[in-house]
Amino acid sequence: MINYEAGISSYETISTLGQCFEGMAVVHLARHLPSGTMVAVKRFNMDRIKHEAHLVEREIILTKQLQHPNIITYHVAFVHLQEVCVVSPLMAFGSCRDLLNTHFNEGLPEQAIVLILRDLLDASVRAGHILISASGKACLAGLRYACPIVLNGKWQKHIHSFPGSTSRNLNWLSPELLEQNLQGYNQKSDIYSVGMVICELANGAEPFAGVSTTLMLTEKVRGCVPQLLDCTTVSTDENNECHGDCDISNNVVSRRFTEDLHELATLCLQKEAIIRPTASQLLTHPIFKLTKKGLFLPDLLKPAMPLSNRVAVNTDEVTNLDVIQQLSDMEVYSCEWDF
Amino acid sequence: MCNISKSDSDDQEFIDENQEIELTNRVFEIDSNEELQPLDGEQIWCNNMIDDLEDGVNINNFFHRVSSDQVIYQAKKRLKMIGKYVMGDLLGEGSYGKVKEMLDSDTLCRRAVKILKQRKLRRIPNGVQNVEREIKLLKSLKHKNVINLVDVLYNEEKQKMYLIMEFCVGSLQGMLESTPTKKFPLFQAHGYFTQLVDGLEYLHSKRVIHKDIKPGNLLLTLEGDLKISDLGVAEGQGSPAFQPPEIANGLDSFPGFKVDVWSSGVTLYNFVTGQYPFEGDSIYKLFENIGKGDFTIPDYIEDPLRNLLLGMLQKDPDDRFSLQQIRQHIWFTRRPPKNAAPVPIPPLRGDEWHRMTVLPYLFDHYYDAADAANEAQYFTERELNGIQIKQFFNENLVTLTVSEEMMKNEVEQNNGSAQTNQSSKRRWKKPISCITVRRLPGCKQS
Repeated sequence: MINYEAGISSYETISTLGQCFEGMAVVHLARHLPSGTMVAVKRFNMDRIKHEAHLVEREIILTKQLQHPNIITYHVAFVHLQEVCVVSPLMAFGSCRDLLNTHFNEGLPEQAIVLILRDLLDASVRAGHILISASGKACLAGLRYACPIVLNGKWQKHIHSFPGSTSRNLNWLSPELLEQNLQGYNQKSDIYSVGMVICELANGAEPFAGVSTTLMLTEKVRGCVPQLLDCTTVSTDENNECHGDCDISNNVVSRRFTEDLHELATLCLQKEAIIRPTASQLLTHPIFKLTKKGLFLPDLLKPAMPLSNRVAVNTDEVTNLDVIQQLSDMEVYSCEWDF
Repeated sequence: MCNISKSDSDDQEFIDENQEIELTNRVFEIDSNEELQPLDGEQIWCNNMIDDLEDGVNINNFFHRVSSDQVIYQAKKRLKMIGKYVMGDLLGEGSYGKVKEMLDSDTLCRRAVKILKQRKLRRIPNGVQNVEREIKLLKSLKHKNVINLVDVLYNEEKQKMYLIMEFCVGSLQGMLESTPTKKFPLFQAHGYFTQLVDGLEYLHSKRVIHKDIKPGNLLLTLEGDLKISDLGVAEGQGSPAFQPPEIANGLDSFPGFKVDVWSSGVTLYNFVTGQYPFEGDSIYKLFENIGKGDFTIPDYIEDPLRNLLLGMLQKDPDDRFSLQQIRQHIWFTRRPPKNAAPVPIPPLRGDEWHRMTVLPYLFDHYYDAADAANEAQYFTERELNGIQIKQFFNENLVTLTVSEEMMKNEVEQNNGSAQTNQSSKRRWKKPISCITVRRLPGCKQS
């Protein structure tokens, strides 16, 4: 068991992995000097975060309290000057958003989605942010906006809290959560978000990406159920060209997801929360039984490579590459994951 | 089929603030004449008529006798934006103006807006100064139990000020009024009272005296958090029934914090008994009674609550409990058992869930143009006349309720039709939406 020290001097920063919290926090790839292990160090700039400091506090406390193989662990958290630093294991494939941005613009292969989903549903906390380790384990992170369902020792039937300060995660939120009325919402709201993640992983972008927030709201309230894009859902004319003003590539039009995956997404994205299955019910879905044993997520994610391998080649070069990669990502993708 | 549409979709800015519903005149086919059919209506009826007459066309082809129940109007909720906020319906009337619901189109967070008309403010002594003071004050305050001012917008042209606040579903006053006994079960009263004390303690720590604590100024959020609101009371008195003896007696100086303790005492008394400790037929009589400081507590209120009320309603401010004493009081520290159903938040215009009132406006904006013919609600001129006659007598109330119901129907219909779509096996939809969409007007101040 490695002892991770609560001091910045024990960690050597190697490169920047990304920004989060609307640019108010940075994630660095670092080496833990005493042991030589690679870690991720997330540094929150508290001077800039100010009023939202309680979110950082909540994320750290909640993450430390939760112990689950599919929820990210924090080795240690400490204060360095104006920053709060959190050290966590390196998730070498980065986030699913990274994967979609770099290698899978039109979505991940179905089997990869299923493997990720199985881990995600096991954790059963709201879909915040999924990280993938070098061994292909999917983990949830970014519990900043997670809200405890147990209050004063009582299980809350309905929750009303709304993340008023950020518009980042709105597209993933369920209609009942967005509606903010006295009916409130419950853990089924997370299942809706899981459905959105399925669509996002399969399509390469989450449904309603680029749509105005108010239209996204009315569409969800009207009961519009987002779909996986493939040959069964994208209608084409004789020339195999898709109709209307959509710019959907041939790849998308010709591919075909299984009926099971379509069904899984539709189940999760039901407008009426009561019809949506629970996380444990979802895990009994045939799609998870059919997955072949011995499928290895990292294989399915090729040509994406785990970070540690890339780093091993040449640290300096990678640093530069990563910075360039980061900059270009930011311009193109306004909806980077909020991790 | 003739379809005359007088509606103009781009005149949003000219809609009067008070006008909740826009009526669009749509005339539909009435005993259509074969000669007229190929023509698309509009110009013939109005503009080209004279020309046609000169051409010797039979005038009867153009003048149709139209019965008033065949002239059809459509209830509309026109989208209106103030900066990035979408305007919703009236929530209530504050001391200085209307309070309406709004939706932040960036975060989709529900908000409330206090609309202040500068013209009205100037007529109130110190009105402008008081509002400016309230804004400055609210901006400096941040506490879970004090209403949070989110944003302030000005419209120089219209001389209006918009104070955008946290959204609340109602006041404790409204909840009390909605029950037959006009009171809360003890555990519920306790929950609100402890939050009130938390908020007051914060205000006092910021050297702020509220001076008008009463159930009507205590609001509840969707989550059930209590928010002390209305910190903009004009110089002088708040609500008479909640004023302490030192104010009723017109003393020159007195400890300010104890004023809030007294009115919190009256508020707690009101929570648990449904009555007021002091009453009077006129404000003079009321103040005389308060000035004497004699009151009774119903027998069913037992110690330690009785003792707490007596401590908070001490005539002499120096003898009156401080917030610290209240906090340490045995009734405060022990939560009463939950032995009755809590008083619920009463419905708003018939809606028990207090749904977003902005939604019908958004529906109209995004979908009405596309499928007005299928989904919108229509009513005839005859019906409208009936409504207007009623309206004449009932001062607006009827039209509002009628149309509100219509809007609700419309929303439900929309939901209904959307659901039918999804149940019939997957069908092609554009990745985002299968309807034509009008863009939201940018940040147009209206």
